[in-house]
Amino acid sequence: MKNIIWKLLRKHVSATQLAGFALANLVGLTIVILAVQFYLDVKPVFADEDSFISKDYLVITRTITGTGALMGSGSEFPDSAVATLQQQPWCRQVGRFISSDFAISATVGVGGGRAMRSQFFFEAIPDEFIDVNADQWGFNPSRPEVPVIVSRDYLSLYNFGFAATQGMPRISEGQAGMIPLSFTFSGNGLTEDMPGRIVGFSNRLNTVIVPQDFLTWANERYGTGMPRQPQRLIVEVNSPGDVKIEQFMSQHRYEVAGDKMSSSKANYFLMLIIGIVIAVGIIISLLAFFVLMLSIYLLLQKNTRKLQDLLLLGYSPSQVARPYIVMVLAINAAVLGLSIALMLATRLYYKDTLTVFGVTGASVLPAMMVALVIMTVITAANVLAIRRRVAALWMQ
Amino acid sequence: MEKIELSHTLPAVFAGRPDTGSDIWLRNVTLERGKRYLVAAESGTGKSSLCAYIYGYRNDYEGTIAFDGRNSRSLSIDEWCRLRCRHIAYLPQEMRLFPELTALENVELKNRITHFKNLQQIEQLFEELAIADKLHSPVAQLSIGQQQRVAVIRTLCQPADFILLDEPVSHLDEANNQIVAQLVTDEATRQGAGIIATSVGNHLKLNDTQHLAL
Repeated sequence: MKNIIWKLLRKHVSATQLAGFALANLVGLTIVILAVQFYLDVKPVFADEDSFISKDYLVITRTITGTGALMGSGSEFPDSAVATLQQQPWCRQVGRFISSDFAISATVGVGGGRAMRSQFFFEAIPDEFIDVNADQWGFNPSRPEVPVIVSRDYLSLYNFGFAATQGMPRISEGQAGMIPLSFTFSGNGLTEDMPGRIVGFSNRLNTVIVPQDFLTWANERYGTGMPRQPQRLIVEVNSPGDVKIEQFMSQHRYEVAGDKMSSSKANYFLMLIIGIVIAVGIIISLLAFFVLMLSIYLLLQKNTRKLQDLLLLGYSPSQVARPYIVMVLAINAAVLGLSIALMLATRLYYKDTLTVFGVTGASVLPAMMVALVIMTVITAANVLAIRRRVAALWMQ
Repeated sequence: MEKIELSHTLPAVFAGRPDTGSDIWLRNVTLERGKRYLVAAESGTGKSSLCAYIYGYRNDYEGTIAFDGRNSRSLSIDEWCRLRCRHIAYLPQEMRLFPELTALENVELKNRITHFKNLQQIEQLFEELAIADKLHSPVAQLSIGQQQRVAVIRTLCQPADFILLDEPVSHLDEANNQIVAQLVTDEATRQGAGIIATSVGNHLKLNDTQHLAL
């Protein structure tokens, strides 16, 4: 019995128009949720939480110019410069780099012909600026061992540059912690050996970091005792992409080390591009929505007489509208399902590339929720429009 | 519903015209349940408008129409739907059948929301009106007279306090007029319903009717 109404009302239902809407909305919605998913998946590559300098930290140095050198100003940061930095609204806190003030040589390997020996240097910063998860970070003079964090670039340099050409074994990050390492410190008439261990790798900081308490202790023991100003500062900022930071840096002739600024710029452009893609997807979806609305209006217009006749028989406007509402719900549900399936399928193509960057990929739930919300809004608008149109047919 | 009261009712398009001596327009008229009324009129005097006002799909009139004392303009859409399924059975002059559906489907379309008659009773009515062979024919293929009979059957497929028929036999011959009149009378008697039939010439052959001129 139910299909009598549908038999009556399906007349003038244009399959091509509905297919056009479904396809357009499918494309629009897929673009939107794929962009959202891609952004969530790729974001960790640009804002690596594990890196030595997380997204909120900048390392700065002073630019050395010819005139600056002649005027006698060096590359150091006096206390006044640190104070000025601390007063900036975007600055949360400033940390000073301490350098080693004595001679260091490092030996890698277990002695014999295979051991490598090199001049070395250390730097230290306050512990709160370190976010590498390093066990046994700290120094105990009674049981001396020096934990160091080195730039991940050093490991890459060794693995891909040195080991590959010299027939040496490649070393993973885990194995690096087991490399026998020893340091020889000399100064103040002392020459002492101390074992060392690599406890972590930093993505962004091109230096060798040791615990601050160790370097303070070692500088006192082997150093000249001359008070030195820091040559590098680490600054925690609210937003590394802030234009005001760039203006401040160039005004004071400071240089931002590493790729932090460019990384945040890349992140900014990534967001911009994703934003544009999402906007395009939404526009396509909106246009599709209007195609469906026009199609439905046309359909109701062509079937006006039938709808009015049903109302005269005693059918309520909601009963009369139901077949069209069911039709819209079915189409929109299919579009939603297909769109999510398409997004997941497309994601498989770039998922492997993500693994290369060491990122596992984000949850797909947020993108699915976005799809659900968009389709719910579109469907609700469709249903409302159908109801209003049918209700308007009540008086003849 | 016991009565339909019309007080100073007049189609909006007739406003300002001199009193035409109508028994309904601009008068106080009460149509009572159980009674039979024949509204005779010439073309263009507002006969179909009267039906549309009572059935609630047009409201371009002055004055009031009340059901048991309640102004019909205050009825909600839900109340109108219930009224169209339970209280007033209406046969429009232009019948409003769906030509692409079969005769039976047209009747079932009404009966499925009223659940008033079973298939056997419906087939019986088709038989009495001599169109049993047209049960499964699309209405588009029926003659106007046959369509009018299908429309009558559809009208009878609901409980009613009033059966409102707008020119129900305009395309029927004497014999079929008689049969329709009998079927409508039987149904009205069974339910204690009133009958309001309009006509421009070919009157529905009812007994004991009160004549009203528009």
